[in-house]
Amino acid sequence: MAYTIQLIVEGFATGSIYGALALAIVLVNRSTGLINFAQGSMGVLSTFVAFGLIQLGVPLLVAMLAAFVFAFLLGAGVERFVVRRFERGDPDTAVVVTIGLFVFIAGIAALLFGYEPRQFPSLFPPQSINIAGVFVSMRSVGTIIVLIAVMILLQLLFRFTKLGLAMRAVADNPQSAGLSGLPVSRLLMIGWGLAAVLGAIAGVLVAPQLFISPTMLDFALVYALAAAILGGLDSPVGAVVAGWFIGIVENLAGAYVDVIGDDLKIAVPFIFMLIILIVRPQGLFGRKVTVRI
Amino acid sequence: MKAFLARPIVRIILAVVIAVVIIVAPITSSPYVNYQLSIIAVFAVALLGLNIVMGYTGQVSLGQSAFLGLGAYIAAYGVRMEWPIVLTFLLCCVIPAAVGLLVALAAARLRGLALAMVTIALPIIGVPLAKRFPDFTGGSQGTSVSFLEAPDWSGLADDQWRYYIVVAIAVVLFLLGRNLVRGRIGRAFAIVKSNEAVALSMGISPYRYKVLAFTVASLFGGAAGFLYIAVVQYTSPETLSFATSINLIAAMVIGGSASILGTILGAIYFVVLPIAAGQIDASRTALISGAVLLAVLFLLPGGLVSLPRRIVQLTSGAKRRGGSTPANQTPTGGTAPDGTAPDGTAPGNTAESAAQKQPK
Repeated sequence: MAYTIQLIVEGFATGSIYGALALAIVLVNRSTGLINFAQGSMGVLSTFVAFGLIQLGVPLLVAMLAAFVFAFLLGAGVERFVVRRFERGDPDTAVVVTIGLFVFIAGIAALLFGYEPRQFPSLFPPQSINIAGVFVSMRSVGTIIVLIAVMILLQLLFRFTKLGLAMRAVADNPQSAGLSGLPVSRLLMIGWGLAAVLGAIAGVLVAPQLFISPTMLDFALVYALAAAILGGLDSPVGAVVAGWFIGIVENLAGAYVDVIGDDLKIAVPFIFMLIILIVRPQGLFGRKVTVRI
Repeated sequence: MKAFLARPIVRIILAVVIAVVIIVAPITSSPYVNYQLSIIAVFAVALLGLNIVMGYTGQVSLGQSAFLGLGAYIAAYGVRMEWPIVLTFLLCCVIPAAVGLLVALAAARLRGLALAMVTIALPIIGVPLAKRFPDFTGGSQGTSVSFLEAPDWSGLADDQWRYYIVVAIAVVLFLLGRNLVRGRIGRAFAIVKSNEAVALSMGISPYRYKVLAFTVASLFGGAAGFLYIAVVQYTSPETLSFATSINLIAAMVIGGSASILGTILGAIYFVVLPIAAGQIDASRTALISGAVLLAVLFLLPGGLVSLPRRIVQLTSGAKRRGGSTPANQTPTGGTAPDGTAPDGTAPGNTAESAAQKQPK
């Protein structure tokens, strides 16, 4: 039983990473209607910035903050200079554009730091704590707390600030938002910047465990995409809940279902995704969209 | 230039010249060059499949590498079991096509991202699955087989013989693919790509044609897998990995989506880029590949195949722009970022014109 609870907590923690990335995907999708396949590699590049600063002797927390600032600028810059040209065009072309970005940004990271995985210091102490006979690592608890804090901050931003209101207006209807005098393109840049910061948070949280390399978040991105679809592409809460769900279920299935095992547990989110897509295509928490012809 | 190329006699001469080059090339080249030329033919077939579903029908598929890998595994297994080679080849086409059909029956109901996600699952799950059945696939070590040795009567070396077989099959598949996309079905693909509602109102079921496009793409992928193992004689889970799919998409877009010639250019790019990048520094392959892809999307949305047309436009564009050109006519067959590109008018062939996006 203790083992099961341990698996659940670990799944919760990995699920938080997926949730953070899924949240980034949902943010981008809500504001620009695109899916950013480069979300993971942008997070990795930002994490590498933190890594480089740490190598230079900068304290961990400062390095992380610098990485978040870098991520914001990177996200905003990518929106402004690359994605904007393709936003109102053919969505298939836009998908290929983000795939190109994915390859290109991973290539930059590889050029600067190579493909060799390297150690990355953790924000949390390496000990485990014992809660009623269940050993839980500080890392897992810390990751979960960070994600919940980020979610609360985002909710506060969107609910109670003018900026958040303006961003919601743009996501809802860019044209009327523009007509009522909102700087739509600048708000889109901010949205992409925030999403990139979320990716960077996922990156620094997962780097101590996976070791940092240009392909570190590739698998997490696939899980995050599945979580975004599962929760509904327009629902931030759905993305996080689905991320947790996937993290926990895949951990349990990997441990207890023999046919699946550790190697095939990546199939689990896809099976759920397929079921959801057939039964409820808008996702668990999503709104149904009717298309006008 | 265009009128000159359209004359039948010119076309025949051109075809003969190309055929002679293709036939003579392996006799005068080194085994290494023959190997690379054969590999180009292999990936041209895989890219043609991808182009049919993505370029012509407009459905994002991130799973083409899975069919390539499946075909390669079936061929390797067939050779080890000593099945007749023709039967093996047919199985390499039929089984991936059947798998593709099953996936498409579920996936073609979806659009956009959901479709991309279902197809992404194929390589992502395919790799651990391939490692799970080492008897069939050789596990993560991969499996190597040797077949298609040159018979004595031909007097050819193995690499030349394989080149001829692979190129012959590729040419036949290309003729089939070309007829498919130029014919009635190709026009249906184009209208499904441009506007599903219009397709429906014309009595064309988008669902059915998407399933068909997927199935054909899987068939070409499987056939390419057979050719792949005939040339490389080795396959591993790496062949069907997600990275291969990404590179295939990049090559297809760079060569030219919804274009037969573009498919061949894409295959050349796919094979030559890693070699060229390896000359400089292999770890820069991803960087160069991503940069080229982005540059093409920005500057040359029709892919390399549209380069001559684009140059003509840029040189004579200033004159034409003043004329009464319809604003939303782009010569790039639907891959243009939007309808507002201010460049010229040169209409593509009919299928390409029909494939142009309606502004929504």
